[in-house]
Amino acid sequence: MTELYTAFTLFLSLLVEALPFLLLGVLLSSALLFFIDERQLVAKMPRNPLLGALFGSCAGFLFPVCECGNVPVARRLLTQGAPTSVAIGFLLAAPTINPIVMWSTWAAFPHQPGMVFWRILFSLIIATIVGCVFSFQKDPWPLMQPDLAKRVMNQRANQTSTSSALWTKPDPLPTLLQSGTFLLGEGSEPVRLDDAATGAVALPYQKAFQRFSRHRVRLFLNNIVQEMRELGAMLVLGSATAAAIQVLAPRELVLSLGQGPVTSILAMMLLAALVSICSTVDAFFVLAFASTFTTGSLLAFLVFGPMIDIKAIGLMISIFKPKVILYLFAIAAQLTLILTLSYSYFF
Amino acid sequence: MKTFKRVRLQWRSHPLWSRYISPLGKMYLNVVPWLDILTMLAWGVLFLKYFVIGRLQLLIHPNYFALVLVAGIVLVVLAGVNTWNQLAEKQGKIPPLTAAETQHLTLFPPGIGTGLLLIVALSGFIIPPKILASDAALQRGLSETLPYTRTEAQTFYSAIKPEERSLLDWVRTFNAYPEPDAYRGQPANVTGFVVHSPTLSNEYILISRFVITCCAVDAYPVGLPVKLPPGTPRYEQDIWLEIQGEMSTETFGEHRQLVIAAKTIEQIPTPSNPYEF
Repeated sequence: MTELYTAFTLFLSLLVEALPFLLLGVLLSSALLFFIDERQLVAKMPRNPLLGALFGSCAGFLFPVCECGNVPVARRLLTQGAPTSVAIGFLLAAPTINPIVMWSTWAAFPHQPGMVFWRILFSLIIATIVGCVFSFQKDPWPLMQPDLAKRVMNQRANQTSTSSALWTKPDPLPTLLQSGTFLLGEGSEPVRLDDAATGAVALPYQKAFQRFSRHRVRLFLNNIVQEMRELGAMLVLGSATAAAIQVLAPRELVLSLGQGPVTSILAMMLLAALVSICSTVDAFFVLAFASTFTTGSLLAFLVFGPMIDIKAIGLMISIFKPKVILYLFAIAAQLTLILTLSYSYFF
Repeated sequence: MKTFKRVRLQWRSHPLWSRYISPLGKMYLNVVPWLDILTMLAWGVLFLKYFVIGRLQLLIHPNYFALVLVAGIVLVVLAGVNTWNQLAEKQGKIPPLTAAETQHLTLFPPGIGTGLLLIVALSGFIIPPKILASDAALQRGLSETLPYTRTEAQTFYSAIKPEERSLLDWVRTFNAYPEPDAYRGQPANVTGFVVHSPTLSNEYILISRFVITCCAVDAYPVGLPVKLPPGTPRYEQDIWLEIQGEMSTETFGEHRQLVIAAKTIEQIPTPSNPYEF
């Protein structure tokens, strides 16, 4: 019983520490979605794979989103014609390389500035390598989910023939009889996700440069509520897991797992894949293991977690073919293992 | 899964019943926005409450108190603005947002995520945070050395006079210069709670404190053995003591260790600020 009470206290402390950071991240990402014009951005993106991947990785400074926010953004970037390397770089590194994540990592490890530094460097390296690898595929369509690719290609074709075709619906079927992924809303027509993604339907942030209005504020608020709800729930589940492991798992087991250089890294990577905690606050989660696990393994968690986890895979299926996700997963996992192992070896 | 979704969508789209929403579903759709508002309000008020009654120090490092205060205010304001919009929408003053405008990828059904957050906030109101005690200290491994992930934090603290050093100051000083004999004879005046270490005999207790760098999750215990004056009964675990005495050294097994030889021991109430930072 006391153990349960201790676990509850730890759980609460994680939430009280992490929720303000999460709120800050959500506020900023909601605000920036309104103020950045993606189309202009896409036009300026570098086509060189190396520069592209670097650009994509650092775009986290423009869109400080964590891994669930970045999948829709990456998807829109891809469908608007961004190079593959940029999209992959963004997908993998943007959740780590952004100001709020840096701050929260610093907050969690105030005496170890190295944690922030290595976390960023490793994420950048991995995202760039994977971005370069995927850039050998010049056209992103074969990587993408067939449904999405087909629709985007059709749309492109229409777009070139008549510019107004973007706004007409070529499909005579009622929306709900068509196949595909739809967004269902309250009391209105469902919207095909791909229409939303390609801009066939005007999205809130594409009207962004219209004047400031009550309607716009409502959209902003709505985005905050939705993200807080989603990410907050993930945070609750993640914090509960961390607190439970810390209090209930036998110390001998944790120590024997956590002190081996390889086992600790593998264990933390597995944990990172299972616990889909948002990258803004995952540094607090990992604190629970700071005294029992090797620093290299903590880094592995912080680098690998934002790239690949169950939740991210669930979202990525909306962009990529399963095979592509598998490759992404495998390459990212191997690189994380190599980099963090060499960190453990040298430091 | 995808086929299932497709079938479900097609079934739902049949003209005969596509517009039909069950009464329960209608209630659900009406309740969810209010649940969101209630959840934000609950968390905001909980944060403000913790800040006002001084409970934050049981949970997180003082560096982040201000952040929690601001977050609390922002959440309450958000709840207020959303209530206002929701009411205006219900009265038909403003049109509801369309599906395209609320586009979002989600894994949880909206009610589940909100419900989870709300339940946690409410239990935060009911159950006060616990002060970590001897059981947690023993489970986390108590020692006079700092855990090795923190060893980069070494600072030479000798600028503080020995009698003014807290338990944490002693541990930090000792970590910077780990030679027990160097401190022999120095006066000690520390407070902390009692832990019975299984490796120490009956005339010793461990005087301990938890140290927090970020939040209670990373709280790590530090402690020094105290040699009780002859004839003193061994204090119960978790009792808070203020101990005055002087530093000496003892040999436990093959290990020479810094020990506080207590002269006066006073029982004190659990401080409102039990952790060191």
